[in-house]
Amino acid sequence: MQTIATENYLPQSAIIHKIINENSQIKTFEIVFANQAVHDSLKYLPGQFMMVSVPHCGEAPISFSSSPTRTDAICLSVRKAGQLTSAMHDLKAGDNLGLRGPYGTPFDMVSLKDRDLLFVAGGIGLAPLRGVINYCLDHRNDYGQIFILYGSRLPSDIAFHEDIKLWQQESGITCLLTVDASEPGWDGSVGLVTKLLADINIDPSKSSGIVCGPPMMIGATLKELSNRGFADENLITTMERYMKCGVGICRHCHLDDKLVCTDGPVFTRAQLKTMDVAELR
Amino acid sequence: MDGMYILSKDHLRSFLRKINKANRLVAPIVNRHGDTLFSVIDDLDYAPYEFNQQSQNGIKSFFFPQQETIATYSSQDGDYSFTAPSDEPEPTVYFGVRSCDLMAIMHMDDVFMGEIKDQQYMAKRQQAILIGLNCNHPFENCFCNATKSGPFLGSGFDLQFTDQGDNYLVQVGREKGAALLKQWNQFFTPASEEQIQNQYQLSLEAMANFQLNVHADQAIQRLQNGQVPEEIWQSLSLRCQDCGGCAFICPTCTCFTIVDRKLSADHGIRLRNWDACTFSGFTRMAGGHNPVHHKTQSIKQRFMHKLCHDVKEHGSPSCVGCGRCVDICFGGVDIVRFIKMAGED
Repeated sequence: MQTIATENYLPQSAIIHKIINENSQIKTFEIVFANQAVHDSLKYLPGQFMMVSVPHCGEAPISFSSSPTRTDAICLSVRKAGQLTSAMHDLKAGDNLGLRGPYGTPFDMVSLKDRDLLFVAGGIGLAPLRGVINYCLDHRNDYGQIFILYGSRLPSDIAFHEDIKLWQQESGITCLLTVDASEPGWDGSVGLVTKLLADINIDPSKSSGIVCGPPMMIGATLKELSNRGFADENLITTMERYMKCGVGICRHCHLDDKLVCTDGPVFTRAQLKTMDVAELR
Repeated sequence: MDGMYILSKDHLRSFLRKINKANRLVAPIVNRHGDTLFSVIDDLDYAPYEFNQQSQNGIKSFFFPQQETIATYSSQDGDYSFTAPSDEPEPTVYFGVRSCDLMAIMHMDDVFMGEIKDQQYMAKRQQAILIGLNCNHPFENCFCNATKSGPFLGSGFDLQFTDQGDNYLVQVGREKGAALLKQWNQFFTPASEEQIQNQYQLSLEAMANFQLNVHADQAIQRLQNGQVPEEIWQSLSLRCQDCGGCAFICPTCTCFTIVDRKLSADHGIRLRNWDACTFSGFTRMAGGHNPVHHKTQSIKQRFMHKLCHDVKEHGSPSCVGCGRCVDICFGGVDIVRFIKMAGED
């Protein structure tokens, strides 16, 4: 797999092609590399991430929210949380970013073949799953039924409206939303995202669950799915940690004896259960 | 040239002077404050090198500096580009490096030249010749016998010296050492069988001279078996003063952070700095969430990594028993304390 700047940490110049405001806190950046040959050489899979540089702000790891099947631009969806992500939110189309990667172990899209897929996302957790979902849509015959359960804090926090609209129109896909607390005008479900499990009919023996969201949500959802009969090998999540190098040396992203940047960020519940992991405590 | 040679102590300075012509020379030097530190020798004729004290630092910082520029960047007119630093490291001979510090370099090689070839580290490492000095007399806090990283080494050096009174027994390790010996062969004579036997005798005496009795194997085993109770992490974490001294003085601690320093509106440098896993900010994410509960777990990763994870990954702990953290820690949260607590029922 072609990787940019693994050994000297030098990012490549990239240009923001378009910015989509997903909600008040999340923006999706459509990005192309300044050098066309670099852009064309980029090979990645859903679940991997890029180290993103913003002038004078350092670097942060951001998961792909795009599928590699859509090659015009890569997408990084970013919630405004710290210094670098705030600086990203101040950028506009045409501005530059530095990118190196892709890094990390991706979702095993081959072993997911022919299975029914249950995606459970909370908040910005839908960003990395968006890449997987769109990958599956672009290889529609390879995968079974798709269920997407998406929880947000408030109705006004719901992001990725365009994607959700497309998913809800697609046959063979069930996409349900819920919010933790209602606001005027919301007539949908209220409650934790796991509540939506009651509204779908899924056979755990031929399904895989793919979960991403806040730490508490990940732990609770994996446990709930396990209780409903999903095998630990078929429960998959992607972890978030502070990171500096992205290539397995700086050790900021330690997860017991593993590193999120190289051993992850994608882990099965079976893997996580052998480790001391905050999310599962 | 393979095998064992003898260098008379009278010839040491002349030998060092010769190798200093084509190489920068680093050795333990006593500074004006009385501290023994591995330093670059400016003037060999006046250098007060000191081989009877433990150097307060290892040689980590010569390969992995406390702060180094890993890139310069510019951001103007629609271009945001990064350039690698252009400075070439000087060829350097490190002389008088103790077994623990040599083992630490071997550990750093695993980190920076394993799967990932770190260009910054590798450039310096390729320009290095390592001349070791076996330890006839372990120092007060030494426990390399427990971590199997000394006091005498069989590999990991280009040349290795053993103090035999009025001469050094010189053992050839890697190719670079053989070449150096060949180049300056006028200083060396082949060692006699008796002199080679004497080295073995000295190594046995050194093994008997450790003042500490540290059961690292036992602690490693208990960590691997999950027999170390959480209360130990808690009580030691509470005493950690968050100073990072243990990580900075440790010859095998290689965790780092990367930061940008703005030099003007449109350019700056990207720096790599030493970091410590015991710092609360080490794992804190944007937005404030921290998966490590600092008060009760701040030192857990440090000892788990050194004594458990690295044993699993590399076959040996990434503690070389140099004992430097014993002196530096005013909370008493050093690895010797931990090993002792972990071994108790």
